Amino acid sequence: MAKTVLITDDTAFMRMTLKNVIEKNGYKVVGEAADGEEAITLYRELKPDLVTMDITMPKMDGITAIKEIMKFDPTAKIIVCSAMGQKPMVIEALSAGAKDFLVKPFDAERVVESLRKIGS
Amino acid sequence: MNEVRLDFLKELANIGTGHATTALSQMLGGRLFQLVVPDAQMLPFREAADYMGGLEHTVVGIFVVISGDVAGHMACVYPLNSAYALIRLLTGEETPEIDELGRSALQELGNIMVTSFLNALSKMTDLLLAPSVPGLAVDMAGAVWESILAGAEVAGEVTVIRTRFSAEGEAIEGHIIFLPNEEDFGKIARRCGLEGL
Repeated sequence: MAKTVLITDDTAFMRMTLKNVIEKNGYKVVGEAADGEEAITLYRELKPDLVTMDITMPKMDGITAIKEIMKFDPTAKIIVCSAMGQKPMVIEALSAGAKDFLVKPFDAERVVESLRKIGS
Repeated sequence: MNEVRLDFLKELANIGTGHATTALSQMLGGRLFQLVVPDAQMLPFREAADYMGGLEHTVVGIFVVISGDVAGHMACVYPLNSAYALIRLLTGEETPEIDELGRSALQELGNIMVTSFLNALSKMTDLLLAPSVPGLAVDMAGAVWESILAGAEVAGEVTVIRTRFSAEGEAIEGHIIFLPNEEDFGKIARRCGLEGL
């Protein structure tokens, strides 16, 4: 059965781009969240195999959302997809529990490689 | 403003813009070609809007507030025809107006360009320059300029970087505005080995 993915990004354009890449490569996108709060709610509801997480978002940022999701499910597999690739932010995201960090703009291959590696 | 300070600011602007342009080119799948070397100017802020094409022209502005170790403001401004060209290149859609998907694509493009610029400065200085969620305004340049500067500490001059590209036969022009707070600009300079700027 196809692995399920929850996409988190505040721009609809980036959610659409990610969804195209993810679904073309045999994964099933089960939900789309536009901020950290939505990501937490949808994670609890859908229990996806993998999550992509933006960092800079309204209402609740990605770092806070990662911490909350990890509290609920310490086995959650979260991949950060953010333009914000500065060292302190990468360290904070990985310490919060993210398994990988992709800096935007990313190419499709890098996204798929990360989904395979983290999802296996 | 002394010459060393001006040169340093221009150099920062050029490095940041180089990274922002590379990011934009990657987003467009390598279809973008830079036509001219980015040109950084220090302008009194009242003149800056004129330099960007005049107060009465409609432009699209994408702007963020910077926080972390350095506070300030930053923005990308595109004339309307360049914004339409970018939407077409990003979404493949031809629209008579900037619709929801177009706004979202421009917002993401602005976000990636601004953040790539700040990432480059962060790497040079080992300081955190975190952008806020970007705001987007489509309006006359004068009004957009006011949105960008809302809350900014503008002492006198601002750095405006003009860039020009070509992608699939379309000429695209844009401006990047970088406004670090005065005391934090000194912090950036010190990290780069320049005292007293």
